[in-house]
Amino acid sequence: MPSYKLIYFETRGQAEPARLLFAAGGLQYDDVRLTREQWKELKPKTAMGNLPILEVDGTAICQSKAIARLIAKEVGMAGKTPLEQARADMIADTVDELSAPCLAFYILPDKNKAEVLKKEFVEKTLPPTVALFEKFASAEGYFVGNSLTWADVTFFAFMDWVITAFPGDHLKGYENLKKVMDNVSSNQGIVKYLEERPETPY
Amino acid sequence: MAPKYKLTYFDARGRGEPTRLIFAAAGVEFEDNRLTFEEWPAIKPTTPMGGLPLLEVDGVTLCQSLAIARFAARDVGLAGKSNLEQAQADMFVDEISELLPKMAGLFFEKDEAVKAEKQKEVEELIVKTYTILEKLSGSAGYLVGNRLLWCDLIFFNIASNVENLKPGTVQNYPKLAKSYENVKLNSRIAAYLAKRKETPF
Repeated sequence: MPSYKLIYFETRGQAEPARLLFAAGGLQYDDVRLTREQWKELKPKTAMGNLPILEVDGTAICQSKAIARLIAKEVGMAGKTPLEQARADMIADTVDELSAPCLAFYILPDKNKAEVLKKEFVEKTLPPTVALFEKFASAEGYFVGNSLTWADVTFFAFMDWVITAFPGDHLKGYENLKKVMDNVSSNQGIVKYLEERPETPY
Repeated sequence: MAPKYKLTYFDARGRGEPTRLIFAAAGVEFEDNRLTFEEWPAIKPTTPMGGLPLLEVDGVTLCQSLAIARFAARDVGLAGKSNLEQAQADMFVDEISELLPKMAGLFFEKDEAVKAEKQKEVEELIVKTYTILEKLSGSAGYLVGNRLLWCDLIFFNIASNVENLKPGTVQNYPKLAKSYENVKLNSRIAAYLAKRKETPF
Protein backbone atom coordinates (compact mmCIF):
# COMPACT_ATOMS: atom_id res chain seq x y z
CA MET A 1 0.00 0.00 0.00
CA PRO A 2 1.75 3.24 -1.09
CA SER A 3 1.95 6.18 1.29
CA TYR A 4 0.34 9.38 0.05
CA LYS A 5 1.09 12.96 1.05
CA LEU A 6 -0.90 15.77 -0.55
CA ILE A 7 0.65 19.21 -0.13
CA TYR A 8 -1.31 22.39 -0.80
CA PHE A 9 -2.41 25.62 0.80
CA GLU A 10 -5.08 25.72 3.46
CA THR A 11 -7.75 26.42 0.84
CA ARG A 12 -9.82 24.14 -1.42
CA GLY A 13 -8.55 25.47 -4.75
CA GLN A 14 -6.67 23.07 -6.99
CA ALA A 15 -6.38 20.35 -4.35
CA GLU A 16 -10.01 19.83 -3.46
CA PRO A 17 -10.78 17.27 -6.20
CA ALA A 18 -7.87 15.17 -4.90
CA ARG A 19 -9.09 15.43 -1.29
CA LEU A 20 -12.64 14.48 -2.34
CA LEU A 21 -11.33 11.49 -4.28
CA PHE A 22 -9.23 10.25 -1.36
CA ALA A 23 -12.38 10.56 0.78
CA ALA A 24 -14.61 8.79 -1.74
CA GLY A 25 -12.13 5.97 -2.09
CA GLY A 26 -11.49 5.65 1.63
CA LEU A 27 -7.77 6.00 0.93
CA GLN A 28 -5.53 7.23 3.76
CA TYR A 29 -3.33 10.22 3.03
CA ASP A 30 -1.47 13.00 4.78
CA ASP A 31 -3.46 16.20 4.03
CA VAL A 32 -0.70 18.78 4.41
CA ARG A 33 -2.03 22.34 4.41
CA LEU A 34 0.61 25.06 4.26
CA THR A 35 0.42 28.71 5.23
CA ARG A 36 1.88 31.16 2.71
CA GLU A 37 4.98 31.51 4.92
CA GLN A 38 5.49 27.76 5.10
CA TRP A 39 5.20 27.48 1.31
CA LYS A 40 7.69 30.31 0.81
CA GLU A 41 10.20 28.27 2.80
CA LEU A 42 9.43 24.95 1.12
CA LYS A 43 9.11 26.19 -2.47
CA PRO A 44 12.83 26.40 -3.37
CA LYS A 45 13.31 22.88 -2.02
CA THR A 46 10.76 21.43 -4.47
CA ALA A 47 11.56 20.57 -8.06
CA MET A 48 8.35 21.97 -9.46
CA GLY A 49 7.96 25.13 -7.35
CA ASN A 50 4.18 24.94 -7.51
CA LEU A 51 1.28 23.34 -5.64
CA PRO A 52 -0.49 20.96 -5.31
CA ILE A 53 2.11 18.21 -4.99
CA LEU A 54 1.28 14.59 -4.39
CA GLU A 55 4.06 12.45 -2.97
CA VAL A 56 3.58 8.73 -3.60
CA ASP A 57 6.15 6.78 -1.61
CA GLY A 58 8.38 9.83 -2.00
CA THR A 59 7.90 10.32 -5.76
CA ALA A 60 6.54 13.83 -6.29
CA ILE A 61 3.82 14.54 -8.82
CA CYS A 62 2.55 18.03 -9.62
CA GLN A 63 -0.29 19.33 -11.82
CA SER A 64 -3.71 19.03 -10.22
CA LYS A 65 -5.32 16.94 -12.97
CA ALA A 66 -2.41 14.48 -13.15
CA ILE A 67 -2.78 14.09 -9.38
CA ALA A 68 -6.56 13.71 -9.44
CA ARG A 69 -6.43 11.20 -12.29
CA LEU A 70 -3.85 9.09 -10.44
CA ILE A 71 -5.93 8.96 -7.25
CA ALA A 72 -9.03 8.22 -9.33
CA LYS A 73 -7.26 5.25 -10.90
CA GLU A 74 -6.14 3.99 -7.49
CA VAL A 75 -9.71 4.13 -6.11
CA GLY A 76 -11.47 2.85 -9.23
CA MET A 77 -13.05 6.17 -10.20
CA ALA A 78 -11.21 6.87 -13.45
CA GLY A 79 -13.66 5.17 -15.83
CA LYS A 80 -14.01 1.47 -16.59
CA THR A 81 -12.71 1.40 -20.18
CA PRO A 82 -10.21 3.50 -22.13
CA LEU A 83 -13.09 5.33 -23.83
CA GLU A 84 -14.73 6.03 -20.47
CA GLN A 85 -11.40 7.28 -19.16
CA ALA A 86 -11.10 9.58 -22.19
CA ARG A 87 -14.60 10.88 -21.51
CA ALA A 88 -13.67 11.63 -17.90
CA ASP A 89 -10.55 13.43 -19.15
CA MET A 90 -12.68 15.49 -21.56
CA ILE A 91 -14.97 16.67 -18.77
CA ALA A 92 -12.10 17.44 -16.40
CA ASP A 93 -10.30 19.41 -19.11
CA THR A 94 -13.43 21.45 -19.79
CA VAL A 95 -13.89 22.24 -16.09
CA ASP A 96 -10.24 23.27 -15.99
CA GLU A 97 -10.63 25.60 -18.99
CA LEU A 98 -13.55 27.24 -17.25
CA SER A 99 -11.84 27.61 -13.88
CA ALA A 100 -8.30 28.57 -14.96
CA PRO A 101 -9.01 32.29 -15.50
CA CYS A 102 -10.76 32.52 -12.10
CA LEU A 103 -7.52 32.69 -10.11
CA ALA A 104 -7.14 36.22 -11.46
CA PHE A 105 -10.17 37.29 -9.39
CA TYR A 106 -8.07 36.80 -6.26
CA ILE A 107 -4.60 37.82 -7.35
CA LEU A 108 -5.07 40.80 -9.66
CA PRO A 109 -3.71 43.92 -7.94
CA ASP A 110 -6.29 46.05 -9.80
CA LYS A 111 -9.41 45.23 -7.80
CA ASN A 112 -11.69 47.12 -10.18
CA LYS A 113 -10.47 45.00 -13.07
CA ALA A 114 -11.05 41.90 -10.94
CA GLU A 115 -14.68 42.93 -10.40
CA VAL A 116 -15.15 43.40 -14.14
CA LEU A 117 -13.72 39.93 -14.80
CA LYS A 118 -15.91 38.39 -12.10
CA LYS A 119 -19.03 39.94 -13.61
CA GLU A 120 -18.06 38.73 -17.08
CA PHE A 121 -17.43 35.25 -15.78
CA VAL A 122 -20.69 34.78 -13.93
CA GLU A 123 -22.87 36.49 -16.55
CA LYS A 124 -21.24 35.54 -19.86
CA THR A 125 -18.86 32.61 -19.46
CA LEU A 126 -20.46 30.36 -16.87
CA PRO A 127 -24.07 30.01 -18.14
CA PRO A 128 -23.38 28.58 -21.63
CA THR A 129 -20.76 26.21 -20.23
CA VAL A 130 -23.18 24.95 -17.59
CA ALA A 131 -25.70 24.35 -20.39
CA LEU A 132 -23.04 22.35 -22.23
CA PHE A 133 -22.22 20.28 -19.14
CA GLU A 134 -25.91 19.40 -18.73
CA LYS A 135 -25.79 17.62 -22.11
CA PHE A 136 -22.85 15.51 -20.97
CA ALA A 137 -24.38 14.45 -17.67
CA SER A 138 -26.76 11.48 -17.68
CA ALA A 139 -30.26 11.61 -16.19
CA GLU A 140 -28.88 9.42 -13.39
CA GLY A 141 -26.34 12.13 -12.60
CA TYR A 142 -23.05 10.79 -13.98
CA PHE A 143 -20.75 12.25 -16.60
CA VAL A 144 -19.25 8.86 -17.36
CA GLY A 145 -21.02 5.52 -17.43
CA ASN A 146 -23.30 4.80 -14.51
CA SER A 147 -21.07 5.34 -11.52
CA LEU A 148 -19.16 8.14 -9.82
CA THR A 149 -15.90 9.15 -11.50
CA TRP A 150 -13.40 11.92 -10.99
CA ALA A 151 -15.27 13.86 -13.72
CA ASP A 152 -18.26 14.21 -11.38
CA VAL A 153 -16.00 15.04 -8.43
CA THR A 154 -14.08 17.67 -10.43
CA PHE A 155 -17.34 19.31 -11.52
CA PHE A 156 -18.60 19.22 -7.94
CA ALA A 157 -15.44 20.87 -6.57
CA PHE A 158 -15.71 23.61 -9.18
CA MET A 159 -19.40 24.35 -8.53
CA ASP A 160 -18.67 24.18 -4.80
CA TRP A 161 -16.29 27.11 -5.35
CA VAL A 162 -18.68 28.93 -7.71
CA ILE A 163 -21.40 28.91 -5.07
CA THR A 164 -18.94 30.36 -2.52
CA ALA A 165 -17.84 33.14 -4.86
CA PHE A 166 -21.18 33.80 -6.52
CA PRO A 167 -24.05 32.74 -4.26
CA GLY A 168 -27.09 31.68 -6.27
CA ASP A 169 -28.71 28.75 -8.04
CA HIS A 170 -26.47 28.42 -11.09
CA LEU A 171 -27.86 24.95 -11.82
CA LYS A 172 -31.49 26.05 -11.93
CA GLY A 173 -33.28 23.95 -14.53
CA TYR A 174 -30.32 21.63 -15.01
CA GLU A 175 -31.65 18.44 -13.48
CA ASN A 176 -28.83 16.16 -14.65
CA LEU A 177 -26.20 18.42 -13.11
CA LYS A 178 -28.15 18.70 -9.86
CA LYS A 179 -28.12 14.89 -9.73
CA VAL A 180 -24.34 14.90 -10.30
CA MET A 181 -23.94 17.27 -7.34
CA ASP A 182 -26.20 15.03 -5.21
CA ASN A 183 -24.36 11.86 -6.22
CA VAL A 184 -21.04 13.38 -5.20
CA SER A 185 -22.20 15.00 -1.97
CA SER A 186 -24.04 11.88 -0.82
CA ASN A 187 -21.08 9.54 -1.36
CA GLN A 188 -20.37 8.01 2.05
CA GLY A 189 -16.73 9.02 2.25
CA ILE A 190 -17.41 12.49 0.89
CA VAL A 191 -20.26 13.16 3.34
CA LYS A 192 -17.84 12.66 6.21
CA TYR A 193 -15.12 14.73 4.57
CA LEU A 194 -17.50 17.63 3.86
CA GLU A 195 -18.63 17.64 7.48
CA GLU A 196 -15.08 17.71 8.80
CA ARG A 197 -13.20 19.88 6.33
CA PRO A 198 -12.19 23.39 7.42
CA GLU A 199 -14.21 26.36 6.11
CA THR A 200 -12.17 28.21 3.53
CA PRO A 201 -12.90 31.31 1.43
CA TYR A 202 -12.09 29.42 -1.80
CA MET B 1 -10.36 -1.88 -44.16
CA ALA B 2 -10.73 1.68 -42.85
CA PRO B 3 -8.30 2.82 -40.14
CA LYS B 4 -9.57 2.43 -36.57
CA TYR B 5 -9.07 6.13 -35.83
CA LYS B 6 -10.25 9.31 -37.57
CA LEU B 7 -8.63 12.53 -36.38
CA THR B 8 -10.29 15.76 -37.48
CA TYR B 9 -8.46 19.06 -37.17
CA PHE B 10 -7.52 22.06 -39.28
CA ASP B 11 -4.82 21.81 -41.92
CA ALA B 12 -2.25 22.83 -39.31
CA ARG B 13 -0.14 21.37 -36.51
CA GLY B 14 -1.73 23.25 -33.60
CA ARG B 15 -3.74 21.05 -31.25
CA GLY B 16 -3.89 18.13 -33.69
CA GLU B 17 -0.17 17.50 -33.95
CA PRO B 18 0.28 15.76 -30.57
CA THR B 19 -2.02 12.93 -31.65
CA ARG B 20 -0.47 12.76 -35.13
CA LEU B 21 2.97 12.37 -33.54
CA ILE B 22 1.71 9.64 -31.21
CA PHE B 23 0.25 7.60 -34.06
CA ALA B 24 3.42 8.22 -36.10
CA ALA B 25 5.69 7.04 -33.28
CA ALA B 26 3.65 3.87 -32.90
CA GLY B 27 3.48 3.27 -36.66
CA VAL B 28 -0.32 3.21 -36.43
CA GLU B 29 -2.45 4.24 -39.39
CA PHE B 30 -5.19 6.79 -38.94
CA GLU B 31 -7.41 8.96 -41.11
CA ASP B 32 -5.91 12.46 -40.94
CA ASN B 33 -8.99 14.55 -41.75
CA ARG B 34 -7.96 18.19 -42.30
CA LEU B 35 -10.64 20.87 -42.55
CA THR B 36 -10.32 24.22 -44.26
CA PHE B 37 -11.36 27.30 -42.30
CA GLU B 38 -14.24 27.69 -44.79
CA GLU B 39 -15.61 24.22 -44.01
CA TRP B 40 -15.42 24.69 -40.24
CA PRO B 41 -18.48 26.90 -39.49
CA ALA B 42 -20.87 24.28 -40.93
CA ILE B 43 -19.21 21.46 -39.00
CA LYS B 44 -18.83 23.29 -35.68
CA PRO B 45 -22.43 22.83 -34.45
CA THR B 46 -22.17 19.08 -35.07
CA THR B 47 -19.22 18.68 -32.70
CA PRO B 48 -19.49 17.66 -29.02
CA MET B 49 -18.17 20.94 -27.59
CA GLY B 50 -17.81 23.23 -30.61
CA GLY B 51 -14.08 22.71 -31.00
CA LEU B 52 -11.32 20.73 -32.67
CA PRO B 53 -9.57 18.33 -32.67
CA LEU B 54 -11.96 15.37 -32.64
CA LEU B 55 -11.09 11.70 -32.56
CA GLU B 56 -13.65 9.20 -33.81
CA VAL B 57 -13.10 5.63 -32.65
CA ASP B 58 -15.53 2.72 -32.21
CA GLY B 59 -18.47 4.97 -32.99
CA VAL B 60 -17.55 7.44 -30.24
CA THR B 61 -16.39 11.02 -30.87
CA LEU B 62 -13.87 12.44 -28.39
CA CYS B 63 -12.88 16.08 -28.05
CA GLN B 64 -10.28 17.98 -25.96
CA SER B 65 -6.83 17.67 -27.52
CA LEU B 66 -5.06 16.16 -24.49
CA ALA B 67 -7.87 13.72 -23.68
CA ILE B 68 -7.56 12.56 -27.29
CA ALA B 69 -3.78 12.38 -27.18
CA ARG B 70 -3.79 10.48 -23.88
CA PHE B 71 -6.36 8.00 -25.24
CA ALA B 72 -4.24 7.47 -28.36
CA ALA B 73 -1.08 7.11 -26.26
CA ARG B 74 -2.73 4.52 -24.05
CA ASP B 75 -4.08 2.61 -27.02
CA VAL B 76 -0.68 2.38 -28.71
CA GLY B 77 1.33 1.72 -25.54
CA LEU B 78 2.99 5.10 -25.09
CA ALA B 79 1.21 6.26 -21.92
CA GLY B 80 3.47 4.68 -19.30
CA LYS B 81 3.57 1.29 -17.55
CA SER B 82 2.12 1.91 -14.11
CA ASN B 83 -0.44 4.40 -12.77
CA LEU B 84 2.47 6.32 -11.23
CA GLU B 85 4.50 6.42 -14.46
CA GLN B 86 1.37 7.53 -16.32
CA ALA B 87 0.87 10.30 -13.74
CA GLN B 88 4.47 11.44 -14.24
CA ALA B 89 3.90 11.57 -18.00
CA ASP B 90 0.63 13.46 -17.45
CA MET B 91 2.48 15.92 -15.22
CA PHE B 92 5.03 16.70 -17.96
CA VAL B 93 2.31 17.12 -20.56
CA ASP B 94 0.29 19.51 -18.39
CA GLU B 95 3.37 21.48 -17.33
CA ILE B 96 4.66 22.00 -20.90
CA SER B 97 1.16 22.70 -22.21
CA GLU B 98 0.94 25.77 -19.98
CA LEU B 99 3.16 27.46 -22.59
CA LEU B 100 0.59 27.03 -25.34
CA PRO B 101 -1.89 29.87 -24.69
CA LYS B 102 0.89 32.45 -24.25
CA MET B 103 2.74 31.24 -27.36
CA ALA B 104 -0.46 31.24 -29.42
CA GLY B 105 -1.20 34.77 -28.15
CA LEU B 106 2.24 35.88 -29.26
CA PHE B 107 2.00 34.18 -32.66
CA PHE B 108 -1.29 35.83 -33.54
CA GLU B 109 -0.48 39.31 -32.14
CA LYS B 110 -0.53 41.96 -34.85
CA ASP B 111 0.41 45.07 -32.85
CA GLU B 112 4.21 45.36 -32.88
CA ALA B 113 4.52 47.05 -29.49
CA VAL B 114 2.23 44.53 -27.80
CA LYS B 115 4.03 41.72 -29.61
CA ALA B 116 7.40 42.81 -28.17
CA GLU B 117 5.89 42.82 -24.69
CA LYS B 118 4.34 39.39 -25.22
CA GLN B 119 7.61 38.02 -26.57
CA LYS B 120 9.36 39.05 -23.35
CA GLU B 121 6.63 37.36 -21.25
CA VAL B 122 6.82 34.18 -23.31
CA GLU B 123 10.60 34.00 -23.05
CA GLU B 124 10.40 34.35 -19.27
CA LEU B 125 7.74 31.66 -19.06
CA ILE B 126 9.86 29.36 -21.22
CA VAL B 127 12.81 29.72 -18.86
CA LYS B 128 10.59 29.14 -15.84
CA THR B 129 8.94 26.07 -17.38
CA TYR B 130 12.09 24.51 -18.82
CA THR B 131 13.88 24.96 -15.48
CA ILE B 132 11.11 23.02 -13.72
CA LEU B 133 11.01 20.30 -16.39
CA GLU B 134 14.79 19.89 -16.31
CA LYS B 135 14.66 19.27 -12.54
CA LEU B 136 11.81 16.75 -12.90
CA SER B 137 13.23 14.94 -15.89
CA GLY B 138 14.78 11.49 -15.75
CA SER B 139 18.41 10.97 -16.78
CA ALA B 140 18.02 8.09 -19.20
CA GLY B 141 17.41 10.29 -22.23
CA TYR B 142 13.67 10.44 -21.75
CA LEU B 143 11.47 12.59 -19.56
CA VAL B 144 10.06 9.63 -17.63
CA GLY B 145 11.68 6.24 -17.14
CA ASN B 146 13.84 4.72 -19.80
CA ARG B 147 11.83 4.80 -22.99
CA LEU B 148 9.98 7.19 -25.25
CA LEU B 149 6.51 8.05 -24.00
CA TRP B 150 3.86 10.47 -25.24
CA CYS B 151 5.21 13.19 -22.92
CA ASP B 152 8.48 13.19 -24.90
CA LEU B 153 6.45 13.71 -28.09
CA ILE B 154 4.37 16.51 -26.54
CA PHE B 155 7.52 18.18 -25.25
CA PHE B 156 9.17 17.83 -28.68
CA ASN B 157 6.12 19.37 -30.36
CA ILE B 158 6.07 22.46 -28.18
CA ALA B 159 9.86 22.70 -27.93
CA SER B 160 10.06 22.75 -31.74
CA ASN B 161 7.93 25.88 -31.72
CA VAL B 162 10.16 27.34 -29.02
CA GLU B 163 13.21 26.61 -31.19
CA ASN B 164 11.55 28.52 -34.03
CA LEU B 165 11.06 31.44 -31.66
CA LYS B 166 14.54 31.31 -30.11
CA PRO B 167 16.90 28.74 -31.69
CA GLY B 168 19.20 26.91 -29.30
CA THR B 169 16.93 27.23 -26.25
CA VAL B 170 16.62 23.52 -25.48
CA GLN B 171 20.42 23.02 -25.57
CA ASN B 172 20.66 24.99 -22.30
CA TYR B 173 18.79 22.16 -20.56
CA PRO B 174 20.82 18.93 -20.90
CA LYS B 175 18.16 16.38 -19.96
CA LEU B 176 15.45 18.07 -22.01
CA ALA B 177 17.86 18.31 -24.94
CA LYS B 178 18.44 14.54 -24.75
CA SER B 179 14.68 13.83 -24.86
CA TYR B 180 14.29 16.30 -27.73
CA GLU B 181 17.09 14.66 -29.74
CA ASN B 182 15.82 11.15 -29.04
CA VAL B 183 12.42 12.05 -30.45
CA LYS B 184 14.04 13.66 -33.50
CA LEU B 185 16.23 10.58 -34.05
CA ASN B 186 13.39 8.07 -33.57
CA SER B 187 13.19 6.46 -37.02
CA ARG B 188 9.41 6.64 -37.31
CA ILE B 189 9.28 10.25 -36.14
CA ALA B 190 12.18 11.20 -38.43
CA ALA B 191 10.31 9.67 -41.38
CA TYR B 192 7.09 11.44 -40.35
CA LEU B 193 8.82 14.81 -40.02
CA ALA B 194 10.57 14.39 -43.36
CA LYS B 195 7.30 14.15 -45.23
CA ARG B 196 5.15 16.34 -42.93
CA LYS B 197 3.49 19.26 -44.69
CA GLU B 198 4.86 22.68 -43.73
CA THR B 199 2.21 24.82 -42.07
CA PRO B 200 2.59 28.23 -40.40
CA PHE B 201 1.40 26.85 -37.04
